[in-house]
Amino acid sequence: MKSSNDKQISLKEAVKKYTPHGSSITFGGLGARDPFAVAFEIIRQGIKDLTLIASSSMDIANILIGAGCIRKVEGAYIWIGSVGSGLNYRRAVEKGIPLKLEVEEYSNYSASLRFLAGSMNIPFMATRSMLGSDIPTYNQKIKVIADPYNGEPVTLVPAANPDVAFIHVQKADVSGNGQIWGILMNDPTISRAAKSVVITCEEIVSTREIRKMSNLTAIPSYCVDAVIQVPFCSHPMWTAGYYWCDLPFRRNFMLNNKSQEDFEKWLKEWVIDTGDWQGYLDKLGQDRLDKLVKLEHDNYKIPEIR
Amino acid sequence: MLAEKYTTKELMAVCCAHEIKNGEVVFVGIGLPMMGALVAYNTHAKDTVFVYEGGGVGAVSRRVPWSIADNPTAENALMIHEMWRLFGDAQSGYIHRGIVGGAQIDKYGNLNTTVIIGSKTYESPAIRLPGSGGGNDICSSCGETTIVMQLEKGKFLNKVDYITSPGHLTGPGARKRAGLVGNGPTSVITQKCIFRFDDETKEMYLDGLFPNVTVDEIKSLVEWDLKVAPNIKVVTTPRVDEVDIIHRLDPKGIMLGAKSEGEENFEEFFQIMKQAYESVELDL
Repeated sequence: MKSSNDKQISLKEAVKKYTPHGSSITFGGLGARDPFAVAFEIIRQGIKDLTLIASSSMDIANILIGAGCIRKVEGAYIWIGSVGSGLNYRRAVEKGIPLKLEVEEYSNYSASLRFLAGSMNIPFMATRSMLGSDIPTYNQKIKVIADPYNGEPVTLVPAANPDVAFIHVQKADVSGNGQIWGILMNDPTISRAAKSVVITCEEIVSTREIRKMSNLTAIPSYCVDAVIQVPFCSHPMWTAGYYWCDLPFRRNFMLNNKSQEDFEKWLKEWVIDTGDWQGYLDKLGQDRLDKLVKLEHDNYKIPEIR
Repeated sequence: MLAEKYTTKELMAVCCAHEIKNGEVVFVGIGLPMMGALVAYNTHAKDTVFVYEGGGVGAVSRRVPWSIADNPTAENALMIHEMWRLFGDAQSGYIHRGIVGGAQIDKYGNLNTTVIIGSKTYESPAIRLPGSGGGNDICSSCGETTIVMQLEKGKFLNKVDYITSPGHLTGPGARKRAGLVGNGPTSVITQKCIFRFDDETKEMYLDGLFPNVTVDEIKSLVEWDLKVAPNIKVVTTPRVDEVDIIHRLDPKGIMLGAKSEGEENFEEFFQIMKQAYESVELDL
């Protein structure tokens, strides 16, 4: 049983301890609160053979795939939204560059239900999605059966229990009660489904602060193994109430990943040579970060809770 | 007042908006559907509740979202669900309409957004595409589906390489036999025309042409023997206020497919975004 005392460790230690080679991994957020700092640390530590379990994942998945960290994806969507194409994903699946990538395909709903089953310690969940489509045709783990009560067709998907989940939240106390503003994705659910959970946060707050608005606690401390304060953890994506999406940064990344060679140059400049997350933030510059904060605060500020 | 200047993508977004009825609950997919939703909300569909896959319900934002779960999908939202809960609501019949895109489509409206296999294999295809995302779930379970996609050679086919998301499957009664709860696609909006589906045969037919487009041009781009409505119409051009909404909410033209031209300047981006949201007044 996980204890509820001070669980703070460094990001470097957390990645080393909870993400050995060959782990299955999932990330919280999508388009917001995606933990880029964690992904970059995984790349710096040269971790390999990971299985990414996701519903959808965007820049983070593509960067990790391009860096050769991932050998299999179980998920429904690995692209870059409206902002660009998943070129790293395409190279890996179509050409095996840098490595051959295996894909176990689901839909967003059914992939989410895998986590839901996993979160409740049951072996599968049922859905009416994917009936009549080719998704079950190419994924033997999806079963189409006649339900045992009514005999109607339903699809079954197996539970997902990733070895580790990394989730970035706005506020957390030192024992790991994590509060989220804005989009949740499946984060409360993946925090139960994963065997180990590491939460990063913009701010560490007192437990007293958490208790003021318990409805906002998305992740209970009893699911959490480690807590790390990592400001700007999801740059270049949004974190609601803290900073805006750095679209030029994402577009420049995409300009620089049209070939594996170009991508590796970008990786060296932004991930390897910056040394750590603070080095990366220093390279971006305080002025840029301040402007991202301003854009967000002009639109949305986390209300003060009395 | 009708706009004198507009692009075909803007017309597509406006046509998409016109499919949406006021008061519906609408599941919005990525890309032009999002623009269509925002035009609808800011014109005739004020009581419509838009939901996004990330779990945001009824968001009202100053700019168009760039993915299914970024901040504009949660801004000033009525409520935030987990993703699985929102899809469960679709499966239970709470969501009247889904709007999705597609890469390949057949005459029954079955969509492919997964792989173009060509002469290769599923595991190592000619072209890997994004995957279903929520497309399969939306097309399976929403009351009806509106599809928004490009009409080009190689997209409207006799048979798609992989059925990611169900249209009418193999024709009348097929969806029900498969066990699907939603009624399937009712329209396909492209950059040249609008298709609808025959009530009896469930086959797509040409219903409306964009200005300066001919029936023959459409037929040449569709692999099967395309049926044409006897009373085929010309689609009305967008209004000035509709085009204005698009420009204000998508100042970088991302939804309209603006390509990156060289290194993006952060300072310019900051100024454009700032001006854009300062010029939008939200009616909450």
